[in-house]
Order: sequence, then structure tokens, then C-alpha cells
Amino acid sequence: MKRNLMTRREALRAGAMGAGAVALGGIGTAAASAASANTPVTFDMLTWNDHYDPKKQLPAITKETGITVRPTLGSDDGTMFIKAKESHQEFAVVSADALWVPYYHQQGLTVPFDIKSFAVSKQLYSASLDVSFWKAGSNYLAYPRAWSALRIYYNPKYVHPAPTSWEVLLDPKYKGKFVRENQPTDIVAEAGLATGSKNPYNMTTAELSKAKQFLQAAKPAYLDLVSQNTGVVTALANGTAWFTSENLGTDIRVKQAGGPLIKAAIPKEGVVGWLDAEMKMIGPDEDRFEQFINAWGQAEWIPPLFKEFEEAWFNESAYKLLVNAGMKELADAVGYNDPEGALKAHLKGPQKNPGAYIQVFNEVFGA
Amino acid sequence: MSTHPLAAPGPATPVRVSRPRLLARFSQYVGFTPAAVLFGVFFGAPMVMIVLYSFWTQNGYSIESRFTVANYQTIFSTPVYIDTFLTTLWMTAAASAATLAIAFPFAYWLARYVRRGWQRPLLFLVIVPFWVSYLLRVTSWTIILGSKGGLAHLLGLFGLNTPSWFLYDRPAVIFVLVYLYFPYAALTLFSALERFDWRQVRAARDLGATQARALRTVMLPQIRPGITTAVIFVFIPILGEYLTPQLVGGTRGVMIGNLVDNFFEEAQFAQGATVSVLIAAVVVILLIVFRRSLEVGEMYGR
Amino acid sequence: MAGEIDGVEIVARRGRLVRRALTGWGCLMYLFLFVPVLLLVLLSFNRNRYGSFPITGLTTEWYTSVLQSSDLQDAIKTSLGIAAEVTAISVIVGTAAAFPLVRSRLRFRAGLRVAFTLPIMIPGVLIGVSLLSFFTNVLGLQLTTQTAVIGQSVYTTPYVLLIVSARLAGFDRSLESAASDLGANAFQRFRRIVLPLIAPAIFAGALFSFTMSLDEFVITYFIIGAQITLPIYIYTQIKFGITPAVNAVATILIVGSLGISGLGIAVPRMLKFAVRRLRRLQQGRRARPVGAV
Repeated sequence: MKRNLMTRREALRAGAMGAGAVALGGIGTAAASAASANTPVTFDMLTWNDHYDPKKQLPAITKETGITVRPTLGSDDGTMFIKAKESHQEFAVVSADALWVPYYHQQGLTVPFDIKSFAVSKQLYSASLDVSFWKAGSNYLAYPRAWSALRIYYNPKYVHPAPTSWEVLLDPKYKGKFVRENQPTDIVAEAGLATGSKNPYNMTTAELSKAKQFLQAAKPAYLDLVSQNTGVVTALANGTAWFTSENLGTDIRVKQAGGPLIKAAIPKEGVVGWLDAEMKMIGPDEDRFEQFINAWGQAEWIPPLFKEFEEAWFNESAYKLLVNAGMKELADAVGYNDPEGALKAHLKGPQKNPGAYIQVFNEVFGA
Repeated sequence: MSTHPLAAPGPATPVRVSRPRLLARFSQYVGFTPAAVLFGVFFGAPMVMIVLYSFWTQNGYSIESRFTVANYQTIFSTPVYIDTFLTTLWMTAAASAATLAIAFPFAYWLARYVRRGWQRPLLFLVIVPFWVSYLLRVTSWTIILGSKGGLAHLLGLFGLNTPSWFLYDRPAVIFVLVYLYFPYAALTLFSALERFDWRQVRAARDLGATQARALRTVMLPQIRPGITTAVIFVFIPILGEYLTPQLVGGTRGVMIGNLVDNFFEEAQFAQGATVSVLIAAVVVILLIVFRRSLEVGEMYGR
Repeated sequence: MAGEIDGVEIVARRGRLVRRALTGWGCLMYLFLFVPVLLLVLLSFNRNRYGSFPITGLTTEWYTSVLQSSDLQDAIKTSLGIAAEVTAISVIVGTAAAFPLVRSRLRFRAGLRVAFTLPIMIPGVLIGVSLLSFFTNVLGLQLTTQTAVIGQSVYTTPYVLLIVSARLAGFDRSLESAASDLGANAFQRFRRIVLPLIAPAIFAGALFSFTMSLDEFVITYFIIGAQITLPIYIYTQIKFGITPAVNAVATILIVGSLGISGLGIAVPRMLKFAVRRLRRLQQGRRARPVGAV
């Protein structure tokens, strides 16, 4: 990306580490708006690898719009936020989970836009255009992409009766048989649900201490906190673990990995979930965002990505393509046609007190 | 201190310099310049920031430059950090000792019994497996050690079961750490042993020393700098490990690095920096306490 | 020189036993080192997309996907380029600094040595985040592979520095003064005496730097800007699990480096052999009695 380094540097020197990063809204916008629609430009995109197809989709976008997308991969929302903020308008598009989207906006990093005016938004499920925390007046904070809610997935051969509550973690029968991805906040949030919190990502101190007690009691059930989804799939497939809390579609993944029959259960206290979206970042190429989304969001690109990552996108037109391509069963298993399901889960997002969550987690899982 | 007459290469005489003394003295330090720039600027500055972070206020996901000691208070008022650190210390000590114990005979063999022309290719072979991503190597071990893995099959042939305490617990963590740090110990020890003149051992034996005594009194003092360096290369990185405990340690093999990493996962850099600064402080104190063995050159005088 | 078996030494039976036992130990260590890697090679041909047992069929599709993925190929190229630069920087900076660290009359040598271990001690994330902030907020630099090279060098140089200074410590300086007496200048002394003696340490240090650079994730992640290295490719796939394509990359890397180094060892030997043969032939021709034709 071309930009005026001197101006940028001076402005940045002025800003302090914590609050600085923002003040640069206008630079470049005026100049860029004069540019014609298909002027070649490089779009740096901070995202996950399930958001794009490098082989066909990205070259096609370049051909159609002149935008060369250069994806930078992220690992988790927290580090991506730091990277996006400290890189100072390096990125034209950043992907983020549910409540992280308004957080980026509060931090002055993104531009809300009129999503209904984007041609491609006609392809979306209407529910995804009505997410309350993604609204900013009549504008929207991000372009919705995909979602999942977590379930307790269990092996019915060993776990019976079917779990109906998070209390199943306290059952001594299942000592050392629970495996989960290592996501400290989500684990504490689930413990919050188990102890009756209505707002598991923003618990009060009292609720947090109840959640801590629950986790301490449940700790013996935890065999391993793995670093990746495949770790869970493998453990369930080879019988090392009997149950987990995982994204929709885990049953199918275990089957594909040559594992046993796995069933899903929704605990009565509720589950956590996520939805993610693409944000329009403040920067010199803001006015090309709409063009990018219109090209990138087309339903035709989704089936190959779905085949690889098995996620429920918010694109309704793509559902029809999936059904035609014979992937209906899989699509329904991950809840593709039920986007309202996303909003029933307690959504992942930045807490007011993330430090306290980690503190609880460390106290329980420390040596 | 080496006492054997053959071991001490004689008092070193200062290198003769024909240039003016001042220039000579200055030129001694010229070699430091690039390192001073690299570390002074690109490590010094971040280090200052890290220490500052630990005294600043974390607000949500941002750090605000308001002074506070709350970060330190939290760490000291929660026993879990000190307990975990102590556990980590002994795990690290055990893993380091084991690594050196298996790497030493290897380096000794390579330095003494392998033909010179073969030494470098063989050294190279030691490190080549480590060009594969850390994550993949450790994942590979979890497959081998897993309850349905290769080791279980192998033991199964003899009618044995993999002990349940092994994987998802500390022994597995220590085992994999030994694997991960073996090359660093082996290469460092080799580069110390390679310099050693084996005729000295023979001379000592001719003078009536046993093999063991000859090695202890003649060889050991001369390769001590290498051993110290190997200990540093193994001990310090292991102390900060978090991926291996997470991948093979289950919920019972946790090390202090995991607790620190949990802070980073949620971008809690102030708290993470606090624990890191404390750990670094402890290690620095340890190194200072043992500085005599670090001051490797002293035995030859100067 | 050291390392050579003393030809005259009569190897006692016990000595031979020790030697055999140590050779056995050496082989065992190579097995230990290569077992997990061999497993990865095996799994790179496994159809199971979770990169694990059971083997659900043999396939080369992961290799095909590596060959087709320009992302992955760029990542490998970037990683190798960075690793080469980092190795060069660490070796030069580290070796240069080792001399004053060991030889000068610096008063705080022990303290400095401790200071140089700090980059190994501080978690990479912290170095990465604070360097990011330093580069962008203070220096106003654009993040590129070059910033990543700097960041990694901070972390790898201490290894070279410490290993070379360990070798240099206790190094017999009378050799150098003898050379000086014989009229060797500073460069000649360095080239002919010092360098050969510290070469093994430099070699080991270079291997360390290259290896660590090739696998460094956290620091690089924050300060490389929009580029992708192999570790970044691998670690950012964690959200969905690594595909066996990564095992294929590992296999290619291992086989490639072994192949290249095998050639690197074999070719000079063959050349030497050929040159010797040639020379002998020429000598033979010259030695022929004149007029024999």
C-alpha cells in the first residue's frame, strides 16, 4: 500500500501507545476517491484461512476489480486486534468475531457502512442483517460471514444417559474423559453458564467466583486442553476422550477421521457460540471496500470453502448451491439453514474484565 | 582449576601490539559495536517497554500509561503463580539434567571416535529433524506416545499397557522436552569437546591416572565453558516452554509458561509482562549467584 | 589435532568395548531424533485429513496441494530467505562480540553475558509486541521481512555469541603471539589461527540460528507486516487443525536438505578423487620414458 510515510510518522509520534493509533481518519481518502473504480490496489486483509480461497477466488477478484488481496493470517481475536491496531492502517479489511466488531469500532479503527446498499447483501439471510450489536444507527459495523454454536459432543457408547446439563462434567464416572480446545475465556464462560450466569462473557466478580468453584470441581474431568480442533477430533476418534464442547459438525468430522458414532447435546443452561464478519478499516482504501465485498462475498465462492471447512455461512444463495451440489446433509448438520441459531448462543466477545477471566482460569488450571 | 601440568597451556602472554596503546585498547571493543546496536536498540527498547507494561494499567485490551503496582500485587497474592513456578523449576531442572546426561556421551563419541571428515555431516544430521516445525514434531510424539499410538502397539506386543501416568502428565512433558533440546546440548558440548587434545588423556594415563580420573581432572576443566553454555541453552528456554506442556501434558503437566501464555491469548500484556519480568529476574539472580561458573575464562588467567 | 584417534595408541579391549557402546549410543540417539520425523513422512501419504492414525488409505494428494498452493510456496521461500539473512547476521554480530566479551579487560563481562541471555528468557510474544510498537510508533517503519529479520536476530544472536565465546574462553593465546613473533599480521593471525579454532562453534551457532529462524513464530508474527512465513502458515491453521499438506512440506524440506547436503559432501569428494586420478594419469604420462612412442 502506498501512503505518505512522513505524515504518518509525525502523527504516530504524537500518539501515546495506548490511545494513539486512531487520529488518522482522513488521510488519503480524498486522493483515493478521485481514483477510478478498477485502479490496481493491494488490499491487506487480516483474516483466518477459512475466509477466502487463494486458488480461484482471489485471482478472480483481482481480475474483476483490480484489487489484489494479500491475506495475513491471524490466530485469535486478541492478537489480531493488537496487530491491526499497532500496524496503523496496514490492513484494509480485518475479520473479527461477534462482539469484537463493536470493540474495534469503539477503538476508532473501523468505518460503519450502509450494508443494504451493497449488491451482494441481497444474498444474505435477513437475520444476519439484524444483529443488534453490529448496528450503528442506520449503518452496519461489518459484513457478516459465518457462525457456529458449540455443543456437547459425546460418545454414546461410554456417555449415557445423554448429557442434559453442564453438570455432566462433575460426574466422577467421566474423570479424565473430557477434552477441549484451549480457549480460557470460553471455558470460564461455559462454567459461568453452568452456574447460572445470564451473561457469561461479562460476569460479575460474584459470578466469576461461582464459575471458579465449578471449574475446580470439574477439573478432574478435563484430560487435555488441546491447541487445535483436530486434537479434539483425534481424541474422540481414537477413544482417548469421551466428550467435548465443540463447534457444530464435530460428529461428522470424527466420522471422517475413522472414529465412532458421536452425538450432540445442548445443555439446558445454554451454550457459547461465535459469528464472524469482515470490517471496513479506516485507511486510504476505504472507498474500495464495497467493491471488494461485492466480489468476495458472491455465493459461487462458498461451496469449495464449505467443503473444506464445513462452516455455516450467512449467505443464503450459497445454501442452494450446496444443496444442488449434494452437500445438504452436511450443511444441515452444521445448522447452515438456521442462522437464527447463531443468535441463540451466548456470543463470544471482548469482556470488560478479560484479565479476571484469565486469573480464574490460571488459578484452576495452574500446577 | 586444572592442576595437571599437561592441562594448563601455560601462562598466556599478551598479544604484542605495535600501535599506540589507546588505539589498541579501543580496538578491543570494536567487535562489540554491531552487537551494541542490535541489542541496545532492538532489544533494549522493547525490554524497557516490557518493564513499563508491567507497571502500567491494563484496561480491557489496551494498556494505559498510568502507573500501578496492581499487576505485581495480583501475582503475589495468588499462590498459584509461585506454586506453578516452583513446579516448573524442578521440571526444568530434571529435563535439563536428562538432556545433558544423554547428549554428553553422544558428543563425546562424535568428538573422539568419529573420523574428522564425518563429524560435520553427522552434526548436521542431528539438527536436520529440527527443520520440521516444532508443532509437527511434538504432535508426532503425541501420536507415538498416545494411548492408541505406536508405543502402545509396541508394548502391546509384549502384553504390556502404556502406563496411564505417562501421557497427559509431567513425565511425557519432560520426555518431549529432552527430545526438543537434545541438539542444542549435543552441538554445544561437541564444539567444546572437539577442541580437546585427547593426547592429554593418554599422557595422564601414562602418568598412572585411571581413565576416569584422567577424564575428570584433565578433560572436564577444559570443557567446562561448553558445559555451562549447554546448560544455559537448555535450561533457560525450557523454563519458558508452554507449547509442549499444552500438547502432551494434559491438564496435569502445566508449566508457568502456560499461565503466562493464557494472558497473552486474551491480549493481557500488562499481566503477562509482569510474570515474565519476575521470571527473568529470578533467572538473572540465579545466573549471578552462579556467575563464577559463568566466568569461564578465569582459569587461564589474563 | 584433536578428534583424531591417536594412531599409535593401542586400543585396549576395554577401550574397544567403550567405543562400541558409545557408537551404539550414537546410533540410538539418531533413531530417537528421527523417529517422529519418519512418522510425519508416513502420515504425509495418509489419506486421513486429520493428519493422524488410523491410516485410511495412501495418497499423494497432499503433495499435489503443496505444489498447487502458491501461499505455501511463498511462505517457504520467505522463511528460507529470512533464515539465511538471520544466520548471516547472527554469525557476524555474535562472533564479533564474542572476542571483546572473552578477551577485553571489560569489567562487567559476567554481567554482560547474563544480559545477553535475556532475549532467550523473555517470552517471544512480549518481544514481538513491544518491537511492533517500537517499529511503528517510535521509528515509523513500514513492517517488512527486514523488520522480521531484525527481530529474529535479536533472539538468535545470543546463541552464536555464547557458543563462540565458550570456545574462545581458555583458548591458548600464546599461539597467536607466536604467530605475531613470526611476523603474521592481525588478519593473518585471525585467518590462520583463530578462525580454524573457533570454526566448529561458528558452525554450530550458524545451525542454531538457521534452525531457530526457520521455526520462529511469535516474534515474526507481530513484526512481519503482511508477509507469511512457514511457521505463520502452520500456526494460523490451528483454528481448524493442520492439514497433512504441512506434513508433506516437512517431508520435502527434510528430503531436500538431506539431498542437497548429501551432494555437498559427495561432490567435493568425487572431485578430489577425480583430480587425483587425473593428476596420476598426467604424472604417468610424464613419467613415460622419452622416445617410447
